[in-house]
Amino acid sequence: MNAIMTPPPRSTDAQPCVHLQGIHKFYGSVHALRNVDLTIKRGEVCVAIGPSGSGKSTLLRCINQLEEISAGKVYVLGELAGYAEIDGRMHVLAPRRIAEQRRRTGMVFQRFNLFPHMTAIENIMEGPVHVKNTPKATARENAQALLKRVGLADLAGRYPSQLSGGQQQRVAIARALAMEPEVMLFDEPTSALDPELVGEVLDVIKDLASSGMTMMLVTHEIGFAREVANHLVFMDQGAVVEEGDPRAVLNRPSNPRTRAFLSKVL
Amino acid sequence: MDIEKAPPDRLVPARQADRDGAVKLNEVVPRRHPGRWLATILLLWLAFSFAQNVATNENFHWDIFAQYVFAPQVIRGVGWTILLTIVAMAVAISIALLLVVMRGSDNPILRTCAWFWIWFFRGTPVYTQLLFWGLFAVLFPRISLSLPFGSEIVGLDTRMLVTPAVAAIVGLGFNESAYLAEIFRAGFNAIDRGQLEAAQALGMRQGRIWRRILLPQAMRVIVPPTGNETIGMLKMTSLVLAVPFTLDLMFATNAIANRLYLPVPLLLVAGFWYLSITSLLMVGQYYLERHFGRGVDTIRARTE
Repeated sequence: MNAIMTPPPRSTDAQPCVHLQGIHKFYGSVHALRNVDLTIKRGEVCVAIGPSGSGKSTLLRCINQLEEISAGKVYVLGELAGYAEIDGRMHVLAPRRIAEQRRRTGMVFQRFNLFPHMTAIENIMEGPVHVKNTPKATARENAQALLKRVGLADLAGRYPSQLSGGQQQRVAIARALAMEPEVMLFDEPTSALDPELVGEVLDVIKDLASSGMTMMLVTHEIGFAREVANHLVFMDQGAVVEEGDPRAVLNRPSNPRTRAFLSKVL
Repeated sequence: MDIEKAPPDRLVPARQADRDGAVKLNEVVPRRHPGRWLATILLLWLAFSFAQNVATNENFHWDIFAQYVFAPQVIRGVGWTILLTIVAMAVAISIALLLVVMRGSDNPILRTCAWFWIWFFRGTPVYTQLLFWGLFAVLFPRISLSLPFGSEIVGLDTRMLVTPAVAAIVGLGFNESAYLAEIFRAGFNAIDRGQLEAAQALGMRQGRIWRRILLPQAMRVIVPPTGNETIGMLKMTSLVLAVPFTLDLMFATNAIANRLYLPVPLLLVAGFWYLSITSLLMVGQYYLERHFGRGVDTIRARTE
């Protein structure tokens, strides 16, 4: 019982922010993730690349429990995600506890997923006001500051339908940051954008990376990966094929599958 | 100008550029519609002659209509009909929301209960249901909670609880809840799955997600058919005769008609009031649709 009752431990610098241990994921008979081990240290920018269907998005979604894993363990900030391990068995946590665990990570989606019935600033205030019970005035001030940070201070009162894709994605990033997460997850944040709008979103992410935020990014922007990542993961057919320093992996890939993929996209 | 209220660039009227003199707009000659004018004249003529005939036709007994349209028992009937409609719809909406959440739940007991409720109340005629609610006090004279094979803990006389008004409201509300539940389900199904995931990723709890994120978005789809159902309910209240509940508009006008042996003017009275209330409901629906369309209906599609 003790494992359930204790408050979530605060992560320390020595502890990895995200630690995945032997993750498998099956969709019916499809083996989407095959024995994935991954450790993301505090302040690290981990970028996952690989062909479509290689399982990188699935892996990312396992970290904040949008996907249920079939085998293995996910530790986020030192805490076992989704389960309490008692006598070697995995007891499913109450939905309330899972919601609490998710608050420590922020997520940005490929298709933005802003709440269409709320203005930009209301989208950003939603989490603080209705999850953390922050007073509205404080939340509004913070949201305005976040909008300024992503370069959208003038557009607070617009609805998502009145914003461009790039602007929507920047609001979505601000919405995730408003919860003051310790880890940020980006699921192909620029894949749904017009080419001319990709830059503005990448700039925000770059700025976030240089501020020391721990993050994991799934992307097809190899150039961007080279620039901001300090930990590169190459995935293929549900497995991590190669990982390490981005320059090393991108310039001198040791695995033939990595080489084949990079030769097509670079 | 207040920044938050500023219209987006693409919504700035095109004529702005024209006024600045920067762009010379095309001179557009709208299409002519002579057929529409012809049809208008024809229909106006038909409508006028029909109205004239009805107004002067003695069979309609307009003097009786005028005498009874604001009669106290008719006005009381209008009041009861509106009250029945509103309370029965409130009951139906509350239950339907509960049913939708239950059907979407991962708890199999809740799912099954909701399924049976909808199956039963949608599958039997509302008239029959109203008859049964009227007979409820006869079938179950006393409702009590007691230990198995033991003595009664609390109990009360059913006639005190299920009065004709309560029977009417419960009968109409329960029946309607089954239909509304299906409408609501369609509304929630129309929401993109990403909305749920985005709310979950923020760490919102299930109840909050339903209330803050899913319900407001579903409302946009739910309101028009629910307005439809409300108008249907207004007219369905005339069935409470089955309970029997005898204070509603239809019963009041029928009673007068039977006394006078003049059904037509009293049917006109009832029709006049039903139409008036429906018109009022439509105004309310317009404002509801406008409210829940925010963020989506800001850019209107070209309509020609």
